[in-house]
Amino acid sequence: MEMGFDFQYSVMWESVPLLLSGAKLTIIITVFGLVIGFLLGAITGLMKISRNWFVRKLAGLYIECIRGTPIMVQVMFIYFGLPMALGMRIPPMAAGIVAIAVNSGAYIAEIVRGAFQSIEKGQTEAGRSIGLSHLQTMYYVIWPQALRRMIPPLGNQFIISLKDTSLLVVVGVGELTRTGQEIVASNFRAFEVWLTVALMYLVLTLSLSRLLHFLEKRMDINT
Amino acid sequence: MIRIENLHKNFGSLEVLKGIDLTISKGEVTVIMGPSGSGKSTLLRCINRLEGITSGKVFIDNQDVADKKTDINFIRSEAGMVFQQFNLFPHMTALANVTLGPRKVRKMPSDKAEKLGRELLGKVGLADKADSYPDHLSGGQKQRVAIARSLALQPKVMLFDEPTSALDPELVGEVLEVMKQLGREGMTMIVVTHEMGFAREVADRVIFMDGGYIIEENTPKEIFTNPQHQRTREFLRSIL
Repeated sequence: MEMGFDFQYSVMWESVPLLLSGAKLTIIITVFGLVIGFLLGAITGLMKISRNWFVRKLAGLYIECIRGTPIMVQVMFIYFGLPMALGMRIPPMAAGIVAIAVNSGAYIAEIVRGAFQSIEKGQTEAGRSIGLSHLQTMYYVIWPQALRRMIPPLGNQFIISLKDTSLLVVVGVGELTRTGQEIVASNFRAFEVWLTVALMYLVLTLSLSRLLHFLEKRMDINT
Repeated sequence: MIRIENLHKNFGSLEVLKGIDLTISKGEVTVIMGPSGSGKSTLLRCINRLEGITSGKVFIDNQDVADKKTDINFIRSEAGMVFQQFNLFPHMTALANVTLGPRKVRKMPSDKAEKLGRELLGKVGLADKADSYPDHLSGGQKQRVAIARSLALQPKVMLFDEPTSALDPELVGEVLEVMKQLGREGMTMIVVTHEMGFAREVADRVIFMDGGYIIEENTPKEIFTNPQHQRTREFLRSIL
């Protein structure tokens, strides 16, 4: 009979090398997913404030569909569903990156839209009144100010997306959570292993928020 | 220089300008006064088409502002505008604010634009603030940078939309001083303001607007000492 819980510190250390290789995949998926997601979000965010009705609606449709469905379902659809329609397999890593990109893109679009709309109308008017075109005004006047305002909410979304990569266990990508699962399956030390996994996620998210904080400081307009 | 013919402007069902006719010659300083909601700011904003025109015509140098063939960006660069809220670009230094137009609209090389920018900041008394960001400037300083920013495009006309209304009283003088100097140098100016001292000193003409119409126009001396219309008299009494 089990005589109480015996915490094995060494199990944590022993699982670190394998977990690190999982963390590497987590980082790769997050970075690629978010870079594409940011581009996607920037484009759809700007589409959402377009003067063209159709362009606005198209962006809205994408945003609503993604925000209105669970990311787990999106992951399954991309990995298991799409290949049936396309007639070709999608590698798990690629499916993971696409899922993170498409999902974060919808939320980032709203962040971009909000940041642009929060810039005072007078800024656009001042830009136009010195003869800048609409695009020049956007590029030189509005975008730099909007970008600065986007950073805090973007940081939030980046952290959410990083943690969302753990859902990719369902498609078998060997990222951090999946690796944890595999180690537990072989040594049955769930407490130590999941604790280590949690600490690693914490290190990743804390590093990410420090990075964004640093960016925010650097972009501070009055330094 | 500027010709406005039967200008109407509606915001939805609200008619703000109800048929304005106005001609402004080169070098003339025109002050527009009137109670809030009388349409004076809207009139100014129709001149450089920051507001679309509902009907009527606006010509700057014989170019129809509303014509689709008119290069509106060029028109705007020829008609500098100064706003009540300054609207400086907060992410740029004073100098960068001033040089943006010359560099991007006039395609001036950076070194030439910078020389022009410093010259203009000197002209408005802010040579030492070239590298300051707007947040570190007082209201009066901001407005003077904004004036320099407009002048940097060497406009043919300057439009001032209540340039001193957002300023603390002790900062009004420094901005008016710059504007007076411009007027004396022969700049064509249209100024929406309630500063009677400014109007007396440099305006060639004062226009009184109310309810979307031009009620009365005359020299400052005449309009202030001998207003013809009841509404003009009431208004002048209320701002004294």
